[in-house]
Amino acid sequence: MSIQSIVRKLLIAASTIAVGLSLTTLEASAQSAADRAVEAAKKYSGTTLNVLYEAGLQPLDPKNFTGPLWEKLTGIKINVIEAPIDQLFTKTMQAHKAGSGSYDVLNVLPNQMPDLALAGALEPLDKFVDKYGYREELQKIAPVYRDNQMKVEGVIYGLPDDGDVLIMYYNRAIFDDAKNKAGFKAKHGYDLAPPKTWKEFSEIGQYLTDTLAPKVYGAGLFRQPGLAQFMFQERFRVAGGKFFDADTMKATINSEAGISVFKGMVEDNKYMPPGVEQWGFIEPFSAFLAGDIAMTISWPPVGRWAAGYGKGTEALNWIPETKIADKVGYALPPGGTPELAAGFSFGVASGSKNKEAAYLFSQWMNSEEISLKRVQLPYALRDPFRTSHFSNPEYRSRWSNAGDYLDVLKAGAETGLLDLSLLQTDRYEEAMRQAISRLWAQEDPKEILDDLAGQWDKLTKRIGLEKQKRVYNDWANKPNAYPK
Amino acid sequence: MITSNSFADKLDQERWFKYFLIAPAVFIILLIGLYPFVKLILVSFQNITMFDNELSYQGFIHYERLFDDDRLWESILHTIIFTAVALPIELILGFLLALLFLERIPYKQVFVGIILLPTVISPIVAGATWKLMFDQRFGPINQVIAWFAGHEVKLLWNIEPALVWPAIMVAEVWQWTPFMFLILLAALSNVDREQLEAAQIDGASWWMTFRKIVLPAIMPVMFIALLIRGLDLFRVFDVVWTMTKGGPGTMTETISIYAYHMAFREFDVSYSAAIAFLIILILTVIVVAALRRMEVSR
Repeated sequence: MSIQSIVRKLLIAASTIAVGLSLTTLEASAQSAADRAVEAAKKYSGTTLNVLYEAGLQPLDPKNFTGPLWEKLTGIKINVIEAPIDQLFTKTMQAHKAGSGSYDVLNVLPNQMPDLALAGALEPLDKFVDKYGYREELQKIAPVYRDNQMKVEGVIYGLPDDGDVLIMYYNRAIFDDAKNKAGFKAKHGYDLAPPKTWKEFSEIGQYLTDTLAPKVYGAGLFRQPGLAQFMFQERFRVAGGKFFDADTMKATINSEAGISVFKGMVEDNKYMPPGVEQWGFIEPFSAFLAGDIAMTISWPPVGRWAAGYGKGTEALNWIPETKIADKVGYALPPGGTPELAAGFSFGVASGSKNKEAAYLFSQWMNSEEISLKRVQLPYALRDPFRTSHFSNPEYRSRWSNAGDYLDVLKAGAETGLLDLSLLQTDRYEEAMRQAISRLWAQEDPKEILDDLAGQWDKLTKRIGLEKQKRVYNDWANKPNAYPK
Repeated sequence: MITSNSFADKLDQERWFKYFLIAPAVFIILLIGLYPFVKLILVSFQNITMFDNELSYQGFIHYERLFDDDRLWESILHTIIFTAVALPIELILGFLLALLFLERIPYKQVFVGIILLPTVISPIVAGATWKLMFDQRFGPINQVIAWFAGHEVKLLWNIEPALVWPAIMVAEVWQWTPFMFLILLAALSNVDREQLEAAQIDGASWWMTFRKIVLPAIMPVMFIALLIRGLDLFRVFDVVWTMTKGGPGTMTETISIYAYHMAFREFDVSYSAAIAFLIILILTVIVVAALRRMEVSR
């Protein structure tokens, strides 16, 4: 055998191997992130993953849809453990402190992620993300969620999984009514349209209440402190307020902006339905669906359900019949920078005995393919959070103006404001919740905010001024911390 | 014939056998009663927070903090006032109801059963129910008041400072007056009839009979009922939590709510252990003083 023939044979063999390898790689890369997660998870067949979820409608997704499907695909059983949203942090920390390993997969509120990560309750996920080739798909999450609800100090601790944003909904029939339009223009000199500023919101709300109450009130908003604090955070920043002085870390919540927003919130109650001070999530939602209020601001599911999406679904039987299904208008709230209130990221508990399986379940749930199905579940509380969700033709055809709805959500995801996130954020929020409850008890806004600033300063001192300053400035320098 | 030595041995054996028999129960009681208490004291001298797990001895830092914590003392004051107001109301209403049911009335057992219903409801459910009852939009209480007033009323029972404590008080009294009623009904039923008849024959007034015969007879039972309810009221959590979560501000925050807040919201574990020890100390003083007064501490 000549040298040439040996070389030729070697070249042919090498080419064959190279082609074979390329085909294998192509096949692997052709696999979706969801498929890769399923394939890898099969080796954990027979185990059970404990998944901590917010109580209510949220767990219906893993209970009715994804849980059974995942078990069918991988043989891994999903056990959903529910806790009220204000208990998620407590439960996670309790399990971590006790070393109980009670949870595998966690639903993490993004502004609590730094606390949980620094306390060691969350498992860093970079190694899994790389191992299962998930970085590319993570990049397709809408930037505001991807860049702000995933990492702590550059390390991935959560997969952003929920496009929470507070959007304005209005009754188009009231806004399009010729009599209302003429009367409003005559009084205020501009057209009756979705308000662009809080001043316009108040004027429209007052006018509609004066004209239509008690049948219809101008607006109805969250007022229970736990929810109203989101609205305050947004409106305060829209009014130019800053939470802290970036140099001294002294609380500036009691600035003129804070006081004027507090006063404005009290004034706004006057044109809202009686007893609005007690309104949580359900009250404005049900009043809007019944046509009793012209405007409200809430999370995305309200916009879907008001349009009648999911009607007839057993899990949604508790929702009052919408009387405004074909009249729902969608807009960004006054100021155009909606609060990205709450939201969820999937995390893996550091105490889990099944970390890899827990991660794989999270990747599968969060993947482009599966998440698109999940955000369209009629009873889902997970809202569109991937760029592809907003433009998906199927979703955009779900009801007559679903396209408008998704466009507003997309706009909100671009301009939305992040919830304040610090070390021990919940302590600061707790003080804010108390301040709001005092506001409804008719105490003086300035006095309340001075007290709040004092409490925040004490907290900062106790946690460590320099440490907290670093965290605050890190947060404040993010593009969506304050309006541009 | 049994010698004195063998008798002593037998006695000794029996004594040890007794100890052997009760040992498991004593061990379990120590395990579930004493261990948490000792652990609590240990933790209060460490520094366990959300981020720190400092297990070394830290001295009295958390006990010193107690004295500077205005919110803690305010919550203790709220708790004392709440207990001081609710306890007499429950006692008086329970006593009046018991007096009513001492008489022979038709379907007495049925009515007693109905009156006792609130006590079998979980306090958290009772709180949630009363929160709805007091709701401005859906609650029947404002609707009834509006019906009497002849116009719509806007009473924010869970928000307005002047109304929030009365609302909580109503829920608490509604749920626990039947407990007082039941205990006092049993006590009153056991008052010596012959003494009552003798007093009647001697022409004693109702008040004299009550003061000299009925009250001394029911006093020990009444005292125990007051002690049980007093301790319960001092530890009140569920009703207040469901109705106001301690708000507006911290206006209705009780010591239990504050301790919960520090332990499970702020994860200031060692400080909350110090608070818990303070509560134990206060309650121990109250119980010992009460038992001494009853002369049953011996």
